[in-house]
Amino acid sequence: MRRWTQRTHLAGLVALTLTACAPAERAPVRRGIAVTDDAGRRVTLGAPARRVVSLLPSFTEILFAIGAGDRLVGRTTWCDYPPEVLAVPSVGDGMPPSVEAVAARHPDLVVLYRSGPNVAAAEQLERLGIRTVLFDLNLLDQLGPAARRLGVLTGQGKRADSLARVMDSLASQPPAPGTQSLAFIVWDNPPIVIGAGSYLDRLAALAGARNVFHDVSSPSAQVSIETIAARDPDFVAGLADSAVPPRYASRPEWRVVRAVRTGRFLFLPGQLFGRPGPRAAEAIRELRRRLEAAP
Amino acid sequence: MDRELIVAVRDLTCRYAGAPRDALLGVSLEVRSGEFHALLGPNGSGKTTLLRAALGLVAPEQGRVEILARPAGDWSRRDLARVVGVVPQREENLFPQRVHETVLLGRYPHLSLFGGVRAADRAAVERALVACDAADLADRWLWTLSGGEYQRVRLARALAQEPKLLVLDEPTASLDLRHEMELFELVRLLVDTQGLAALMITHHVNLAARFADQVLILAEGRAVARGAPADVLTRETVERVFSWPVAIEPFEGRPQMIPLRQRKDAP
Amino acid sequence: MKYVWLAAALLATFAAALLLGPANVPLGEVLASPILWQLRLPRAVLAFLVGGALGASGVALQALVRNPLADPFLLGLSGGAGLGAVVAIALHLPGPWALPLAAFVGAVGAMALVYRLGLIGGAELDARILLLGGVAVGAFAAAITTAIVSLAEATELRNAFLWLWGGFSGASWTTVLVILVYAPLPLIVLAAAARPLDLLALGEEPAQYLGADVRRLKRLVYLSASLLTAAAVAVAGVIGFVGLIVPHVCRLLWGRLHRTLFPTAFLAGGILLTTADTLARTVVAPRELPVGIVTALVGVPLFAFLLRRWTVS
Repeated sequence: MRRWTQRTHLAGLVALTLTACAPAERAPVRRGIAVTDDAGRRVTLGAPARRVVSLLPSFTEILFAIGAGDRLVGRTTWCDYPPEVLAVPSVGDGMPPSVEAVAARHPDLVVLYRSGPNVAAAEQLERLGIRTVLFDLNLLDQLGPAARRLGVLTGQGKRADSLARVMDSLASQPPAPGTQSLAFIVWDNPPIVIGAGSYLDRLAALAGARNVFHDVSSPSAQVSIETIAARDPDFVAGLADSAVPPRYASRPEWRVVRAVRTGRFLFLPGQLFGRPGPRAAEAIRELRRRLEAAP
Repeated sequence: MDRELIVAVRDLTCRYAGAPRDALLGVSLEVRSGEFHALLGPNGSGKTTLLRAALGLVAPEQGRVEILARPAGDWSRRDLARVVGVVPQREENLFPQRVHETVLLGRYPHLSLFGGVRAADRAAVERALVACDAADLADRWLWTLSGGEYQRVRLARALAQEPKLLVLDEPTASLDLRHEMELFELVRLLVDTQGLAALMITHHVNLAARFADQVLILAEGRAVARGAPADVLTRETVERVFSWPVAIEPFEGRPQMIPLRQRKDAP
Repeated sequence: MKYVWLAAALLATFAAALLLGPANVPLGEVLASPILWQLRLPRAVLAFLVGGALGASGVALQALVRNPLADPFLLGLSGGAGLGAVVAIALHLPGPWALPLAAFVGAVGAMALVYRLGLIGGAELDARILLLGGVAVGAFAAAITTAIVSLAEATELRNAFLWLWGGFSGASWTTVLVILVYAPLPLIVLAAAARPLDLLALGEEPAQYLGADVRRLKRLVYLSASLLTAAAVAVAGVIGFVGLIVPHVCRLLWGRLHRTLFPTAFLAGGILLTTADTLARTVVAPRELPVGIVTALVGVPLFAFLLRRWTVS
């Protein structure tokens, strides 16, 4: 009787071991990872991604912020933060993405910003058997969901969730109180300003500055110099890495704008302000500091 | 009476760039005031080329062309337009215009660069319209005119230039009998009453014989015969030049050409 | 009588351009306001001069190619200007004048190329060659422009295209001065060519017989009209339609003699473009529409109305 029990236990052990050694595909799908991306696609992975290519600086920053930076095997030439990322090989400027360069990195996940050319590139990568995920990332509100899903995909769920909570709470804050106004001018001929549907507009609101073009619903709009002068912002803000006044500042027709005439410019570094990212809070603090420091 | 020599073409040889043979070879012509010259010849014989060369538009390879004793090439287009009035074979009509407006274009060689149209200019237009029996057409739109009326208006425009020489390139090409006769009569009248010289390219051998003082026949760029119609339009000459059998019958002292049928037995 | 209407339209246009705008300038302060002197007045004057240049240029080119459907930009000038502008931005050329100057050079380059194409068959400035050559050069320039855009950085080039689509947002007294110094010579040449252009309408040979030096005339008119258009593009981008429609409107109202056509087309073009610009900056305030769209929306019904009156009469 004991010998039969031993043999049964042994057979059972063997059976269990064999089952555990079975290939992963035979494992049921609900044990794998799945997210729905912003293109409505259901993206599934058998295991957390180990080799990730990021095709947007914002995603690069998020990956590092959630502790998945060591998984990065490819980045764009624009990805420059944090400094460690420069050691990761570049796969080009990403506009449009070079499918071959990306594939050469043998990734198991490619993260793209959702745009027309990128959707096409993603389809090409999928045909090569490479998993891709597309996210919208134009607004502050979209940082949290993107971070959360990247956390799922890289197995860094906990850290991603805590980052996402910070981002969501930041995004749900009401505009901070403040008396100062500004206008973001990104081009001078014709004059193009940033409107309400944009990340910068939100940063300004959270820093306590009113974007005088907040009533324009689109992210950017062409206006006349007179409109800017009529709305009389306290500051003219622009993305610039140096404190050199913009080239239009010396022209007489622009000097009708008070902020230009009095030289009240806000030069916002592109790396911190130019794209939505985990350092949004830092950007808001920096903007507030500059607003308060200005004469 | 000593008639003024308007155009003198001497031994003119012309060739178009890239052409295999000369368009004109050794052609001479003298047109004096009060003379009506007809230029005859088969298609491609060089008639229009002679016209262009006489007016300085084509440079001669050899020979000379003089207008009022000055080389044709020395004349500015503006000055020349005050001496020679041309009715070309074709012209374009892009925008609608009235008769008096188009005749006024003939005064342009006389207008100063920025100066206005003067009373003298309008008077010249009026005179030209009257001379061409087109005064009643003055306010009509060009596109409402018949073929004959339109040619008279174009002749009036050339007359408004107050030229010494009128040049007409196949002016009766699409006109009916009456308008054809009217045009030839009109040119003859202008030559006789106003002392103008006239040079007309025409296919109408018989009318040229009736109305012209002098006839020049061209064939393959060469002058075949030059002189009074009675001397020039013989059966041999006409048959050779036009490659068709004809009979010549006199009418009112001028030779009239009657083309013969190819098939002798035809009814 | 028509001239009275024209003068009235001119006054009304300028009044609207100077008094309307997003900044609320009280009537009493108007003459002292920097908004008026630095922004509205130079912008109105510039729009007027550019519209006038395009109108006169349109008249000249329609006479030159003997085709009433010719537009100053049909001869490849807009393609050349676009290429110049894109190259200037792609190369990050410095200075506020880099863009206009490059657009000007591009337009003039296109003009020279089209002229050279006409010389190939010995058909110097032949009307059909001009039109075909213009389309070819325009397409060629557009192709190169697209290649540059696809290879270079995207955001700044998008702004280049916004500039190219035409507008007076960048108007300043400096720009006005440039046009005031530059435009009179081609305009005087065109005025002197007015009578010979009447003759050219009959055809080249008849025009010569009536005293026009056709070869010299075509060269001068082509050069002047192209330079006027190139200058217009350099300060205001590509604004189509004005050069096409204004000559027709003026012909309907004043006849086809160029001595009257040139000045009236200049005035009418100026009025049209200034009005269009005022509308472009007030209709969707605070945003601005591209001026070219407004000229089309204003010009087409106007033309249809006049055409109807003319065909009925």
